[in-house]
Amino acid sequence: MSKTKTTLKKKKEEKTGMVKIYIMGQAYDVPETLTIMKAMEYAGYKFTRGSGCRAGFCGACSTVYRKEGDFRIYTALACQTIVEAGMVLTQLPFVPADKPEYDINSLTPSANTILRYFPEVARCLSCNACSKVCPQEIKVMDYVQYCLQGQISKAAEESFDCVSCGLCAIRCPAEIPQYHVAQLARRLHGKYLMKTPDYLDIRIKEIKEDKYKEGFKEMMALSKEKLEEKYKNRDRESN
Amino acid sequence: MSYEYIKFGPEERDFIAKIEEISGQNIYSCYQCGKCSAGCAFSSRMDKTVNQLIHFIQMGQKDRVLEANTHWVCSSCLTCSIRCPREIDVAALMEAVREYILREEPEKVKISELSKEVIEKLPNIALVGNFRKMTG
Amino acid sequence: MVQYSYFPGCNLKTDARGFEKSAIAVSKKLESELVEIPNWNCCGTVHTMTSDNLMKRIAPVRILARSRNHIEELEDTLNQAVTLCSMCNSTLKIVNKEMKEDLDALETINFQLEEDNETYENDMEVKHFLEILRDSVGFSKIREKVVKPLIGLKISAYYGCMLLHPDEAKIDDAEMPSVLEDLVESLGAESIFSPMFKHCCGSYHIVEDEDIVTDQVKKITGDVLSRGANALVVACPLCAYNLDQQQKMLMEKTGKKDVLPIFYFSQLMAIAMGEPWEINHFEDHKIDPRELLKKLKIEE
Repeated sequence: MSKTKTTLKKKKEEKTGMVKIYIMGQAYDVPETLTIMKAMEYAGYKFTRGSGCRAGFCGACSTVYRKEGDFRIYTALACQTIVEAGMVLTQLPFVPADKPEYDINSLTPSANTILRYFPEVARCLSCNACSKVCPQEIKVMDYVQYCLQGQISKAAEESFDCVSCGLCAIRCPAEIPQYHVAQLARRLHGKYLMKTPDYLDIRIKEIKEDKYKEGFKEMMALSKEKLEEKYKNRDRESN
Repeated sequence: MSYEYIKFGPEERDFIAKIEEISGQNIYSCYQCGKCSAGCAFSSRMDKTVNQLIHFIQMGQKDRVLEANTHWVCSSCLTCSIRCPREIDVAALMEAVREYILREEPEKVKISELSKEVIEKLPNIALVGNFRKMTG
Repeated sequence: MVQYSYFPGCNLKTDARGFEKSAIAVSKKLESELVEIPNWNCCGTVHTMTSDNLMKRIAPVRILARSRNHIEELEDTLNQAVTLCSMCNSTLKIVNKEMKEDLDALETINFQLEEDNETYENDMEVKHFLEILRDSVGFSKIREKVVKPLIGLKISAYYGCMLLHPDEAKIDDAEMPSVLEDLVESLGAESIFSPMFKHCCGSYHIVEDEDIVTDQVKKITGDVLSRGANALVVACPLCAYNLDQQQKMLMEKTGKKDVLPIFYFSQLMAIAMGEPWEINHFEDHKIDPRELLKKLKIEE
């Protein structure tokens, strides 16, 4: 018990170092352990756009930055990246990209379908600017090329980790909205090319044969108390 | 025969210099033998033949060059380039005129106005090639 | 088995899949196997003729760099990237030459590729599959493997532009080539010459001005038919599409009956060497060549 107390006390005495960062040109001193997003809030910014799940999954917090003395362009998701001294950053709370309407039920999984809705994919220069800025380290150019070549399943697999942050689209000289193209590829793959597991087909068949109809009817007729009781006494896997 | 006085000043020289820079060719090598136009598979569709267009470029007549359809009808088959007795890459000159325009106005072919049904039927190689030559 | 690093190009996986599958099958039979580069990108189809645009040269250089890495995994191979598509042949050869002559440009492009752990060091050659067939395999070996000579087929070779232009890309004499004729004859078919053999098909104009292509196809097919041919052989997927689709369109529009089915050269080889016909994907063609083959009693 006492050991914990001393450790806690020690932690309070260590002071967190501060680093200087530049948010949209203005300099701030922020604690070095914070993520970019937390550092911006520390500096007094309030997020009404450009922040979402705060867990690296929604792609809302795309950030572009450079470091003092370095000409390179870096990108990050603000909620996932710790600040660095000399960071000069700005955010892209929204990336404009026209999303065409399509009915997935009437499409065929082919290069021609992708090109029909995204003819700009044919302009891809294979320059790889997109892959370089992807915060998820996806090989973006590769999946765009797979789409052009009609290899839809490969494109779907390659683009799996995409969070639609939009950074690739903004860097693309051919003006392709890569993440929208990837979404179409994944949808085509999921609907037409991916093999469904056998047990799914079996279960769907069972449902169609009304195997669970009585059971559902029974459950729907129960009162709240009876439902709670059933829930408490449900079958559980014992460890 | 009619004569026309043309202006040949700094603007004209700038135009020639730009075309030479983009194409990497010496425009004054051409002595108007006409072999390029003779071999061109699309001559009949061009309002100014290939050698006529080159002559306009030599004279720095930018407006006349840009009005012609020669460089848009060109399909980059390169027959002209391999036959030129002065070893000028004629196709590169056509490309330079196209690029001169596309670098300012990048949409000779308006992709968003192409019919979706047509795009779906075309092979991807046709779209790639067309957009390379006709969009910037 | 000699293996070659093979670069497909964007169309060989879609409209021209018959071209690819038949070529790979016959390459195996001739012990010169085409092995696909595992991770490739589009070459750009038509090469940029500007002297100042390095961006459009990145893709072909990247392909050459990847091909160079790929040959490490192949057996009994050479520093050669082999293509089936004529346009890829032309583009890659031109860029290869440019990189050998302009080392500054190569260095700038290598900066871009470095971040992907790739570099091109000017150590690859580019070959079209027809060059491999003529120079490394040899027509006499091809003749030996023929089990169904293509008797009755009167084929006119249509080279198109990019097999012969520009000088650094040509696989044969630019004004009087003979490689396709020699190949066709080694398969037992008759070869018919037409001066339209490289009269441009209209290429990418099929996208924005179909009339241009229609006129060209009329000229080419008109001349070839008047010389008694009954089919065309090509090496370029874009020419194949233009000639095929435009003839079909004219047939439907004008009721014209005599048309020339289009064959890729590897499809002819596959039929002659007794490969199963399904690898040719004849069902993808707009004018089905199987009707002609049936008429001439050439069977699977």
